[in-house]
Amino acid sequence: MTDEPLVDSNQDTEMEALDAVADSVDVSTEPSLGVTRMEAAFGSGDGDEDATAVVAQPGSIEGGTIFDQVYRPWRGKLGSRWVRNYAIYRHHVYGIISSKGHRHYHPFVRLALLAILISSMAALGFLLLASLIGDPTIMRGFGLNRVNIYTKILGFFPRNALFWPLLTALVIGGMISEDRAHGTSAIYFSRPINRIDYAAMKYLSVASILGGVILISYVSFYSLAIVVEGRGWGYIFDSFPLFVSGLGIAFLLIITYTSIGMALSSVSKGKFFPAVGFLSIILGTKLLAFLVDNLFEQSIVYLISPYDNLAHLGQYFMGIDLRYDHPVAFSVVSLLAINAVSLYVLSARVNSLEVTRE
Amino acid sequence: MCLSGLGSDWLIEARSLTKNYGQHVALDKVDLHVPHGSIGLLGPNGAGKSTLIKTLLGLIHITSGEGKVLGHDIRTEGDLIRSKIGYMAEYDSLNLDLAAIDQVRYSAELLGMSPTVAQQRAHEVLEYVGLRDQRYRKIGTFSTGMAQSAKLGCAIVHDPELLIVDEPSNGLDQEHRGFMLNTLFQIVREGGRSILMSSHLMDDVQAVCDQVVMIHKGRVVVHRKIDDLAKQIDREIEITVWGGASRIEQALKDAGLTVRRMGRVMRILRQDESTVDHILDAAAKSQVQVRQMQEYEPSLEDLFLLIMDQLGYGTRTAADLLSSTPEGRVIGANSAEEGLV
Repeated sequence: MTDEPLVDSNQDTEMEALDAVADSVDVSTEPSLGVTRMEAAFGSGDGDEDATAVVAQPGSIEGGTIFDQVYRPWRGKLGSRWVRNYAIYRHHVYGIISSKGHRHYHPFVRLALLAILISSMAALGFLLLASLIGDPTIMRGFGLNRVNIYTKILGFFPRNALFWPLLTALVIGGMISEDRAHGTSAIYFSRPINRIDYAAMKYLSVASILGGVILISYVSFYSLAIVVEGRGWGYIFDSFPLFVSGLGIAFLLIITYTSIGMALSSVSKGKFFPAVGFLSIILGTKLLAFLVDNLFEQSIVYLISPYDNLAHLGQYFMGIDLRYDHPVAFSVVSLLAINAVSLYVLSARVNSLEVTRE
Repeated sequence: MCLSGLGSDWLIEARSLTKNYGQHVALDKVDLHVPHGSIGLLGPNGAGKSTLIKTLLGLIHITSGEGKVLGHDIRTEGDLIRSKIGYMAEYDSLNLDLAAIDQVRYSAELLGMSPTVAQQRAHEVLEYVGLRDQRYRKIGTFSTGMAQSAKLGCAIVHDPELLIVDEPSNGLDQEHRGFMLNTLFQIVREGGRSILMSSHLMDDVQAVCDQVVMIHKGRVVVHRKIDDLAKQIDREIEITVWGGASRIEQALKDAGLTVRRMGRVMRILRQDESTVDHILDAAAKSQVQVRQMQEYEPSLEDLFLLIMDQLGYGTRTAADLLSSTPEGRVIGANSAEEGLV
């Protein structure tokens, strides 16, 4: 047992002192009550007047301005209409070679175009082979003659069943439709570019890419055939009209396919519809006409097929046997009508492209 | 039609400009003489703002009347006008697959700049709009604010005399909005260029523009400086009361003051310097606490709503709930007749 009290008498004294302090303050307003109790409890305020604290200061930049927004005027002279038009053309054509800074073509598209170009020049390999082994049979099959010149442009398989339609479908997808989808038409029409120039330059860009592939394969075939067959100037002069006829039907094909493709691109907002639509028109009409012709022996139905109209005209120009019963004039008219309708659709849809919100 | 009556000192001039789409009148005999500076283009949806912009860009054939932009005839010199104008569209108008530098460069080339000059200018402009460090990024990876800045870059790449911007702060957060508005303001203040700004955000217009053109049903109903327009609105004193709002409302009315009330918030038409004294007297008599009192400055939004109301358009916002009594929102006595238009 100890004699120590259970309650510390000193503690009682402290409590009494605190109560005395609390009683002495004015408790009529709540804020001062809180402060006073705080001071009583912790003795805050003692020596606060003389104390200094280390406080973070607002930073100041003396080493220069990070971003100085200064308006810079430009006093240059803008180029002419053709400078602007060439910019559109270059943007779309250069994109096939390099997408950096130009229109973006998917790498698959660019690879497919390369594959089509190489495949369309397969005959060159056979020509070289024939000249190397000296086989006249192969040379006749792949050498320079009316039918082969026609086939290099308008042969159905593989060129018009696969190569040229696929080439066109890949290029025209998004050519105008993406401007409509992304509103990028405003970039063109809010500038001094009229709708004719816009459509014409896009049209020319597509035609140039198609023409690049088709004509490169055609001209290289003609040139190599002359070389490997060892033909002289006389033969070149004799065969030159055939070459020019081939060029003519190549241009017709390029124009027709471009017109149809651009019209389809102008009526849609994506890449898929124009591409599939184009393949459907070229191959679908051909298939339909083929079936009707075989069932009912009516070749006139080929007039609905752009390819067959071109083929009919090509056979006429190249002087080879015509495979259609109807007059060639019908095919000419049909071809003109197809191009006219396509160009009308293209112009109407380009006219509907908006600068402000659609 | 003779254009000799129209001078070339104006930014935009129009006389009886009319555009019909079939039976629909999009622009109805618009008369405008807009000086250089910053102009806000306001109007409800379908009022004719877009048609006016397209007309000024020389993109559509007008039905009748005449007009000039920067001294060039909108009917025959559209190309020339567009080479001197920068247009920033409201909606996305950028190629998402291009880097910002390439998009701006291409925009410059479409104006007729050579590729070398366009490239150099694209660098300058992208730095100005705050995209210096992002200029080689694809636009498809940009935030909304960055895309808006890229659009602005495309619009000002050739240092246009007139910049037409359509909803420039559309979809921007507060920080980007402030930057965009400040940039536009700088173009006017430092660049000495003119801006025609179409926006639904009155605060934006007020921040950038010094004058407004309001269009309603194809007609220009107001063309004034914002400051002048604000002076035509009656000033009000807004008070917040406690304890007996009905009593003080009655007391104020008894004192001959015009009061609009919504709950404990009231707006009293400021008649003269003594109006405040009358309010305090009324509060004392009715034994009501006035907890807050402030002079209410009419904003551009108030002006717009008021004018649209007067035109019978029936625009309604939360603020309009205050207008329980139409007389509280009356434009100055002569403004409706002669002042506004």
